Amino acid sequence: MIARLRAGPASRRAIPLAILLAAFVFAPFFVNDYLLTVLILILYFAYAGQAWNIMMGFAGQLSLGHALYVGLGSYVAATLFTHFGIGPWLGLLVAIPIAAACGAVIGYLAFRFGVAGVYFAILTIAFAEFARIGFDHLDYVNASSGLFLPVKQYAHNDLWLLRGDPTMFYYVILAATVFAFVLCRQLLHSRIGYFWLAIREDEPAARAAGINTFRYKMYAVMVSAAVTSFAGVFYAFFYNNLFPEQVFSISRSIEIILGPIIGGIGTLFGPILGAFVLTGLAETLNAVMGAFGLDLPGAKQVFYGVCLLLVVLALPDGVWPPLARRLGLSEGKQ
Amino acid sequence: MDRKSRWNSARVTRRTVAAGIGAAGLAAAIAPFNIVRAAGGPLKVGVLLPRSGLQAGIGQDCQRGADLAPGIFKSMGLPELTLMNGDTESNVDAARARAEKLISDGAQLLVGAFDSGQTTAIAQVAEQKGIPLVINIAAAPPITEQGYKFVFRNFPTAPMILGDAFANQKEVFAAVGAAPKTVVFMHVNDTYGTAIAKGIGAVMPKFDMPYTIVEEIPYDPAAHDLSVEVAKAKATNADALLVSSRLNDAMLLTRELVKQRWTPQAILSMGPGWYEDQYIKTLGKLADGPISFVPWYDPHKKLSGVLEAALAKADPGVSLNTNHVFTFEALLVAADAYKRAGSTDPTALADAIRSTNITDNVSIGPGIQFNAKGQNDKVKDGAIQNRNGKLAILAPKDAANAKPEWPLPSYQSRG
Repeated sequence: MIARLRAGPASRRAIPLAILLAAFVFAPFFVNDYLLTVLILILYFAYAGQAWNIMMGFAGQLSLGHALYVGLGSYVAATLFTHFGIGPWLGLLVAIPIAAACGAVIGYLAFRFGVAGVYFAILTIAFAEFARIGFDHLDYVNASSGLFLPVKQYAHNDLWLLRGDPTMFYYVILAATVFAFVLCRQLLHSRIGYFWLAIREDEPAARAAGINTFRYKMYAVMVSAAVTSFAGVFYAFFYNNLFPEQVFSISRSIEIILGPIIGGIGTLFGPILGAFVLTGLAETLNAVMGAFGLDLPGAKQVFYGVCLLLVVLALPDGVWPPLARRLGLSEGKQ
Repeated sequence: MDRKSRWNSARVTRRTVAAGIGAAGLAAAIAPFNIVRAAGGPLKVGVLLPRSGLQAGIGQDCQRGADLAPGIFKSMGLPELTLMNGDTESNVDAARARAEKLISDGAQLLVGAFDSGQTTAIAQVAEQKGIPLVINIAAAPPITEQGYKFVFRNFPTAPMILGDAFANQKEVFAAVGAAPKTVVFMHVNDTYGTAIAKGIGAVMPKFDMPYTIVEEIPYDPAAHDLSVEVAKAKATNADALLVSSRLNDAMLLTRELVKQRWTPQAILSMGPGWYEDQYIKTLGKLADGPISFVPWYDPHKKLSGVLEAALAKADPGVSLNTNHVFTFEALLVAADAYKRAGSTDPTALADAIRSTNITDNVSIGPGIQFNAKGQNDKVKDGAIQNRNGKLAILAPKDAANAKPEWPLPSYQSRG
């Protein structure tokens, strides 16, 4: 069996993956609340990055407005909870189709009228901005004054209502990240995944080969939007307050995409590694500076910039592909 | 009897008595040292402010107020504070993580965080850990409506700010014996400006104001040209201009008023921009005249003079403002509570904060006290007017140090 496990890269990948998963599962027993919060952030960005990767990494459609789907997910679930007492999991069932429908509208407008590349990216930003301005004036969700979820001290964790301590939220986002990873892996190795890759590599050639590119690009946008909406639901119930300026902002969209860009666009491990590199190392940088008594606000942003610069210059495919090759864990060309 | 039921029974045995006496003796032996250690060392205060990102300028300004506090407290005989600074990066995620970090590094009390969203995230951590949070600036009412036991706010809520603004306007009108009959309301179309616009609609009818709003003109926060908006406002023939703006657009609006030769009877500002140092320095004589209605300091209070002098020494050319005052006062609450509690125990600190009664403070109003929700509901706003590069306080009466100049001097006559 061990020989079989060692046989191919796919099997070899399973071992470090299992170790990584085990480390994540047992982490709350060994880390303090601060590190737990950092891990939640890492997983949150890994999850959202994985969702974005479906659209850009697999199907080659650049979205710079993914905060739209985070915002929709968060506002839908939070509104249902605050106005009707409907829990987040049922809220998610409403948020997913709404986000997917919104993605479908953007996709239809773009793909039907041949809006592609940078123009498509601008269109996604425009829709996120429409949403931000719209929600800033929507009194039902308290407009720009912010929507606050009621907070109580809970004697025990309530998974159904997502009310509880950070450890519960940690396991929820860990489960979601694992789910997103498995979903992406399945999609990538399915018929639809191969069609997406074909579209990403050469759309006219894919069309010439008989792929209905409009349909499969629509699928990519809708699946990505639907998966991203859960990040919004999680955000709403973890932070318990929503301001349109925060959840729909372009800076949130950029935060989502930095992980996959640093880690490796179009790879399964890229978004996870990227989230680790950015959030993990940025926090380490803060801790090291703190240990030396240095108080330099903005150092993290500079660190992000340097990371991006280094990746663009030295590792244009991201950190994961060369690292995987070095470790013999290469996923092959995707 | 199984083990659980044995524990639940109230039966007292020789062994439990001996164990109890032993534990009590141990506790008694350790306790005095704890108290001595707690009362002797400085209180570790985590100061959370947005010192990078979108709100960096404001966060750094707030930090000035925090940095001045330890020196002044020493001269007041208040206990020493060790400030542990945390940058929230103008971001809710970072705010929560920084709060956790400061607590894990030993912060015994938190202060922050200027922004309502970031403050809400920090408040949850503070409440979960049982560490008191004293909010310096954040106006969203729900923060103190959640039933928190460890969260205290020495800053007016948004409805309080608006209510005071209208009350102070009426006081100014009464002092000059004149009032505009009509105003045109121009506001920046961002989160803040929109919130003020909506608040005005809800709060104004309760104050029986002498004027009516003839037109509301929102504009983009990133606008580089407001000529069309000002022309539209001028065309309404309104007596006065009611504004809710930021710094850049306040300067744009002023330049446009000069260019279009329109000097309304008054410029009444419900927010930042018009009283800020950069506005005054950049526009010189053209900056004189606008009246702003904001949470402010009482110049008659002794501590205001001390704080103003300390700021002038530390940062020459920077005028004392809301950011410095309320961040300083949040630390004042912490030091005062620590002195009275005589302990760094968070519960004792929270109890001491709850019974705060500071009358020797800086902000306008009778002083700092917290109601059952942890809100200082006695803190008041002021009306301030730009005069020859300085700021005069016009209202409320108790805090005023000048009479209003009315009407606004013509821009064309300023040379």
